[in-house]
Amino acid sequence: MQDLLARIAAQAGGWVELRFQGRSTQQISVRNGELEESSSKRIQGIGVRALVDGVFGFASTTDLREASILETVSAAQSAAKTSAGAKKHRIPGLAAATMGVGMYPVDTADPLDNHPLEEKLELVLRIDERIRNGSSSIVSSSTSYAEIQDEKIIVTSDGARTHLFVAIPEFRVMAVAAKDGNQCFGMKANGVNGGWSDLFAAMSPEDMADYAVRTAVEQLTAPVPQGGLATVVLDPGLVGVLSHEAIGHTVEADIVLGGAITAEKMNEKVASELITMVDSGASEHAPHATGTLPVDDEGVATRKTTLIENGVLRSYLHNRETAAHFDVEPTGNARAFEYSDAPIIRMRNTYIEPGDTPVEDLIADVQDGYYMCGLGFGGQADSNAEFMFGVREAHRIHNGKLGEVVRGATISGNAFDVLSSVDAVGNDFQWDLGAGTCGKSQYAKVDAGGPHLRCKATIGGRQ
Amino acid sequence: MNHEARLREQCRGAVQAAKQCGAEEVEVFAQTSRTISVEIEKHDLQTSSSQQETMIGVRAFVGQRVGFACTNVLDELDATCADAVKLAKASPRDEHNILPEPVPVPAIGGLYDPAAESFSVADAVQHAIRMIETAEAMDRRLVLGGGSFAANLSTQCVVTTSGVDVAQNGSLFTFYALATAKDGAKVSNMAFHFDASHVVDGIDVVPVATHACRDALGSLGAEKGTSFVGPVVLSPNAVQSILVGLFSFQLNAKNALRGASRWGGSLGQSIAASTLTVVDDGCLPGGVATATFDREGMPHRKLVLIENGVPRALMHNAYTARAMKADNTAHASGSARSIPGIGPTNLSIAPGTTTKDELIGEIKNGLLVNRFSGSSNPISGDYSGVAKAAYLIKDGKLDRPVTGTLIAGNAFESLNKLTGISSDTERVFTAILPYIRIDDVSVTAE
Repeated sequence: MQDLLARIAAQAGGWVELRFQGRSTQQISVRNGELEESSSKRIQGIGVRALVDGVFGFASTTDLREASILETVSAAQSAAKTSAGAKKHRIPGLAAATMGVGMYPVDTADPLDNHPLEEKLELVLRIDERIRNGSSSIVSSSTSYAEIQDEKIIVTSDGARTHLFVAIPEFRVMAVAAKDGNQCFGMKANGVNGGWSDLFAAMSPEDMADYAVRTAVEQLTAPVPQGGLATVVLDPGLVGVLSHEAIGHTVEADIVLGGAITAEKMNEKVASELITMVDSGASEHAPHATGTLPVDDEGVATRKTTLIENGVLRSYLHNRETAAHFDVEPTGNARAFEYSDAPIIRMRNTYIEPGDTPVEDLIADVQDGYYMCGLGFGGQADSNAEFMFGVREAHRIHNGKLGEVVRGATISGNAFDVLSSVDAVGNDFQWDLGAGTCGKSQYAKVDAGGPHLRCKATIGGRQ
Repeated sequence: MNHEARLREQCRGAVQAAKQCGAEEVEVFAQTSRTISVEIEKHDLQTSSSQQETMIGVRAFVGQRVGFACTNVLDELDATCADAVKLAKASPRDEHNILPEPVPVPAIGGLYDPAAESFSVADAVQHAIRMIETAEAMDRRLVLGGGSFAANLSTQCVVTTSGVDVAQNGSLFTFYALATAKDGAKVSNMAFHFDASHVVDGIDVVPVATHACRDALGSLGAEKGTSFVGPVVLSPNAVQSILVGLFSFQLNAKNALRGASRWGGSLGQSIAASTLTVVDDGCLPGGVATATFDREGMPHRKLVLIENGVPRALMHNAYTARAMKADNTAHASGSARSIPGIGPTNLSIAPGTTTKDELIGEIKNGLLVNRFSGSSNPISGDYSGVAKAAYLIKDGKLDRPVTGTLIAGNAFESLNKLTGISSDTERVFTAILPYIRIDDVSVTAE
């Protein structure tokens, strides 16, 4: 297939990019002990992007015969020509890049296919039962396993020859506890880029179930937090969510050019000096982050991109088009979810570099505040970095000690203000967004994380 | 053989293939989709694209065990059928697993426009340009950071061993604009507006761009608001964010079956102000989600979900209808990529008798929320988030735009504190919604 695509690319005339993708997915969902879904999906096709007269055109096909691929190349070139007359700013050219050449297998010693359907189904049913037996307050449970396995061949007329394999398993649990008409949730979800045992390396499925039960039950009798500005210790999960949702999107070069708050802030101080934020195609500090990819969907070898260095904004996230516009090297952030999606700028693994404060000290120095863990229900952020996230688990901190649980907490503010208020960064590190899927006109599997850190943010709660 | 007939033949062939693999009952749902789209980015045309895909989903039943597999690799359809049967055999038994018996499906006009067949990339480009030009004509500080115009032609077929054998064709044009206004260092909230049409003559992108631009401009120069507990007017967009998910969850029969719905066991008891009526109508003329049949091939119909503040019906598919001994309301949802779920089609809140301006005119101190960016929990009812493109209301008039303002409350409580519904409604994706006024909402200025 790679040879065929390379031959077509060479003969196409002008710049073209051909991406073959074969995807197999599996999904097992159980709720209250009953199977909701056991399904498999197999899709394949080729997406073609052509650059004609400074304009991109895109077309896709599921027919892998040579004649059909050639037709698809023509359709992409024709779509580009059609809009060329009306486009205000032609793309002068694509930035030169180190193109990916070679075969990139999945990094695991325990491939997903070595584990039969029956084993996965048995695990999901068993964990779901464990949740329901976890407490007499539990009224509902749900447990699911999902996996995506991709094979991609990426060929461009200017040198990419990539044959890439990705495997992403995910495991999710949710517990609903009820008492006196009150209902509360506990949840946990993990995902990795790797194999079966990698998925459960950080936390066993039993521990995930027990965590969901405990947090659901604890919240039943918990008060709602007082609204207002507070000192908050964020766990690696929320640090990751903040990095991805509230900061990361505002430094995607397409969003920057669309009028994000970061447009005028390059090389300016945007956060505390304690903050260094990175987006990387590799899995630094801990293995198997979900957004790990050696080559992006433009065939560009990915780089570790330092977005904020000691509080100063240093880079945006680029594809080859925006890298040319800003006269920088492409960062390898062009990604497409399926063969029928054109690559757009997306994050990979986004994180804050660990600092040097022990986590206990972050909490011990707080007289009155909150300790907040993980993304709960809902979360949104804007291109001006204003955000609002539901929190999965929240505790009060009194006199340097963890206190009572509060329920239904939200955290909000302007992400740059929040990061500017950081006065201590933990010396730990964890990926926590592995089961997360980012939506930006198409999906992407991304990861995010970091250390614990202490900052000031607005806590939501009813007055 | 035309496209629809060919797709039907493929479905019938897959039904036979699955039976040969050991399935006792089979449902095959196939969907062909042809899409042309033009994206707007950075106030300019971005990639234009054309694509086509046929996806076939096979649901196999073996002794009341169910498995599902789907593919777009039509040469491998036999393997997909074998997969579905294999998954079914490994699954636990569930006595409620059943395929619906066939019911005649009446035709609905206006869903398919033959003129859509000749709609070209060039036509889509013209509509996208019109959105950009609309913003430019309004104010030079405006930027369409994003937007899209897409034309979709689809054919769907459902064939089952229980005798369902139906097909439908549709055309749908969808378009949205994402506007931001910039004035020096001031950046507005991003404002979003969407509309759609099944027919070429119904396409009008100008109001969509105008609406998004007006909201973006309105939030420029917004400053800190004030904190209070009091009346809030929610725009159709904010109503969609806060209440539509709640209605969809609470009135979903599967959630009632699980005991997760508060309203599921108490149909007939008041849960909201008597002015609230909620209707779902999959046959609604011009509705985005209008289609002749649902994911299981059952004919759509109008269903009153909440009448004068009282829940009257739940949304069912074949599974829940059997499990709860209720009528199947034809609310099986989803695509060929997934097993049937349950969801609304065109959900609407019945309009009231006062205008939006009258709703505002009766407020001494309050807040107008044009967009809600936050979370709304459909189970607990708790909602909390940032009010976007929001205005303080003072003495019956919009006073000034505010930023960094949080609103929070509980939707179950808010439905009983609903003091007004506007006569003007707007389309928000598949829903048709009015402005509503709610008392005693917690408003916090950061």
